[in-house]
Amino acid sequence: MDPNGVVLVVVFVVSIFVLFLLDHFLRPGLRGLLDETLGSPPATVFYLRAFVIVLALVILSGTLGTHSDFKNSPHFMEYVWAAAGRLQDVFQNLFIVLLVYVGLITVLMAALRRKS
Amino acid sequence: MSNEHYLIVSYFLFVLVSLCLGVAVYRILRTPLAAIAESATARFGSQLLTRAMAVCMTIAAVAGFLSVSYTQKGCRSYEQVVKDREYLIQMNQEQVARTSDWLVWAVFVWCLVVLFCLLAWRHAEGPHRRN
Repeated sequence: MDPNGVVLVVVFVVSIFVLFLLDHFLRPGLRGLLDETLGSPPATVFYLRAFVIVLALVILSGTLGTHSDFKNSPHFMEYVWAAAGRLQDVFQNLFIVLLVYVGLITVLMAALRRKS
Repeated sequence: MSNEHYLIVSYFLFVLVSLCLGVAVYRILRTPLAAIAESATARFGSQLLTRAMAVCMTIAAVAGFLSVSYTQKGCRSYEQVVKDREYLIQMNQEQVARTSDWLVWAVFVWCLVVLFCLLAWRHAEGPHRRN
C-alpha cells in the first residue's frame, strides 16, 4: 500500500476515536446546559447536531489537508512523523473550533438565559 | 487509466463528493431548523430559512471545492500538473478538506441565525407570558 495511504488510514482511525471520546465526554453536559438555557428541544437538537458535524468536518479537513513526501522504502519513524504532522493539524483545528463553539455557547447563555 | 483521464474523471467526481457533503450537512440540520423557525416566524418564514440554508450549504461546498487551484495560481503548467499522479490525488484530498473548512464556517453562521430566531421567539413569547 502507498505510504501516504497507510498514514491517512491510521490518522483517520485515531481521529474518529478522538471524535467519539469528545462526543462521549461533552454531550451529556452540553445537552443539560442547552436544555436549561434554550428551553426549546429543537434548538437543543440543532446545536448538538451542529457540534458533532463541525467536529467531524474538522477531522476530515485536518486528515486530508496535509501531505507527506516519502522517499523510497521509508523507515518506521518516518511513518510516525508523517502521522504526527497530520494529527497536529487535526488537533489544531479541533482546538480552534472548540474555542469558537465555547464562544457561541457563552453568547447563547448571555442572550437567552431565563431569569429565575 | 492515463493521468489526464484520471484528472477529468476525479475532478467531476469530487465536485459531486463536495456537493454531497453540503447536502448531507443540510439534511442533518434541516429538521430542527424548520421546527425552530416555525415557532419563531410564520410558515413562509420557516420555508424561507430552510431553503436559504440549502442554498448556503451548497454554495459553501462548491466554494470550498473551487478554492483549490491545480496550477497553484499559475505557478504550474498543465503538463506539470498532469504528469504527476501523486499530485492529482493530493489535490483531490485538498478539495474535500477545503469543502469541509467552508462547511464548518457555514454551520457556525447558521448557529448564529438560530440564535437570532430564538431571540425573536423569546421576544414574541414575552408579552403572552406576562398576561
